Amino acid sequence: MPDTHFYRYDDYDRSLVSERVDQFRDQVRRRLAGELTEEQFKPLRLHNGLYLQLHAYMLRIAIPYGTLSSRQLRKLADISRKYDRGYGHFTTRQNLQLNWIKLEDAPDALAALAEVDMHALQTSGNCIRNVTADHFAGAAVDEIEDPRIWAEIVRQWSTLHPEFTFLPRKFKIAITGSPNDRAAVRVHDIGLRLWRNAEGEVGFEVIVGGGLGRTPMIGKTLREFLPKNELLAYLEATLRVYNRYGRRDNLYKARIKILVHEVGVEKMRADVEAEYAETRDGLLGLDNETIEAIARQFAPPELPPRPERVSAVEALKLVDRDFALWLKSNVAPHRVKGYAIVTASLKPAGAPPGDASAVQMEGMADIAEAFSQAELRVSHEQNLILPHVAVEDLPTVYVALGRLGFAEANVGKITDIIACPGLDYCALANARSIPVAQQISNHFASLARQHDIGDLKIKISGCINACGHHHVGHIGILGVDKNGVELYQISLGGDVDFGKTALGTILGPAVTADKVVDAVDSLVGTYLDTRAAGERFVDTFRRIGAEPFKDRMYAAL
Amino acid sequence: MAKNLSGDLQVASANRLADGVVVWLDDAGQWTTRLDRAAIARDSRTAEILLLRGLAEAFTVIDPFLVAVTEDDDGTIEPLSLREKIRASGLTFDAIAADAVRYA
Repeated sequence: MPDTHFYRYDDYDRSLVSERVDQFRDQVRRRLAGELTEEQFKPLRLHNGLYLQLHAYMLRIAIPYGTLSSRQLRKLADISRKYDRGYGHFTTRQNLQLNWIKLEDAPDALAALAEVDMHALQTSGNCIRNVTADHFAGAAVDEIEDPRIWAEIVRQWSTLHPEFTFLPRKFKIAITGSPNDRAAVRVHDIGLRLWRNAEGEVGFEVIVGGGLGRTPMIGKTLREFLPKNELLAYLEATLRVYNRYGRRDNLYKARIKILVHEVGVEKMRADVEAEYAETRDGLLGLDNETIEAIARQFAPPELPPRPERVSAVEALKLVDRDFALWLKSNVAPHRVKGYAIVTASLKPAGAPPGDASAVQMEGMADIAEAFSQAELRVSHEQNLILPHVAVEDLPTVYVALGRLGFAEANVGKITDIIACPGLDYCALANARSIPVAQQISNHFASLARQHDIGDLKIKISGCINACGHHHVGHIGILGVDKNGVELYQISLGGDVDFGKTALGTILGPAVTADKVVDAVDSLVGTYLDTRAAGERFVDTFRRIGAEPFKDRMYAAL
Repeated sequence: MAKNLSGDLQVASANRLADGVVVWLDDAGQWTTRLDRAAIARDSRTAEILLLRGLAEAFTVIDPFLVAVTEDDDGTIEPLSLREKIRASGLTFDAIAADAVRYA
């Protein structure tokens, strides 16, 4: 069985990661021996993805472009069991967080990661963070090109880039290769969208200055069409302009979105193009040979012909309603006929969204090896994807996922909630997120009801930093602290669908924790009573506006 | 780190360097994982001294700070803020058990 159908480390990558592990091991030793103060050590540990949270250290592990081999997932399970408490949290940036790592164990955990070509570099600090991509990449039926090829090229360019190691603030890049944006490219510092122009050439729309957090903004188009081989030089020019003019005097105004907002996209474009004119013919031009060498590593797996229509699947649909619902919500078409993309829901009723135990991770690795070319993806919606499953195998995969608790037919539904770790773990949070998600999940647990409600994305953040993407939730929930009491501000109408990207509208005063479920129930009730045929929740909101939702919700509380 | 709420009673807290575990300073100047053994400062001057003592004993911990607490008739102390309550008592939901397939 092939190990991967994606990038494998070369000797350069391996030695770089291995050297960093050795350096960090020595830094930890010096810290524990008292040779380094916390002030000296903190930036060093953060550069290696090690945060200090409320109860313990947290290790944030990069999963480049959300792609994992079964071998890597097995190793993550092993690390979580050996050095943590046997579970991990998949995040909205396609990373994995281990919440109970001991400082003295961190170098060993990083060494174990390096064994499977993984690390925790650039998962913290004011640098270019782990590049995210469409979680259906390489399998999506609507894909123009695999965005991971470009995400890998960006990864190689940005890893330990000396000029961009101390930017004004952190910098997040997302790439999609499909017109149906599953990577939320308009709410990243830079979003890259591969598209085909009228001449039939494929290039990038470069979007800049999007982001959530304290000041949410939708990104603006910096370059309508950028030839692919110019990508790195153009990114370099953009980062250089940001590095030069981005504000360093105010933490809350330091992201590139503030710069773009303050100077305007026209001025930003002019500055970038001027910088680009100086650098475009330099070393960063990508020759076809380099691109093809990377692309070969992402060559799609050879999928043997399998039947497109399988009588056993059709028969099971008729007798097992949950299976039929699962096919509708958790199974997407594959570019190869006879295959499908399966989303394993990490949101069973009442569970902490995005959490998986070591046993569950190993179970997913087993299923991937048996049925999905040993490949998996992590979605920014905190689920795991099996990208290459034969239609014929869907009943077996459904049962296997069910044994892990990951076969809930709720992908895209009201209980497929994005939630940050919140105040239960996070040192920055003001309010809890996970218990709120659990209450909503339990309340709406009925699959029939969820499918009647249809597509509805709830996103919950425990503070204004918006790791739970609440600004772009159809229903967004933001936890705030008012005089020591957790309150939840509710917004409606956020969206990340391409062409419809929108920030939510805050309905009014925040509600107490015990009223959140009632509030959501009321919002759903308004939708069900007023929806037109075929309308999703967010469509109805766009048609009738916030007032009917608001009036009924506050009257119900 | 955590904010201090103003309160008459305060204890000194930190995270242990080796593993990040939450600890409090006891009367003997040792860091303990038991909140019920924490030294209580009952006025602002004592709190200042308690924090200085914590900072002096910070070799094995990270960034000591004061936490406002309440004390009931039985002498049970509890942090005032939710953040510190969670630091003291742990997660407010059941995390996935290490070796269990919880939902099977």
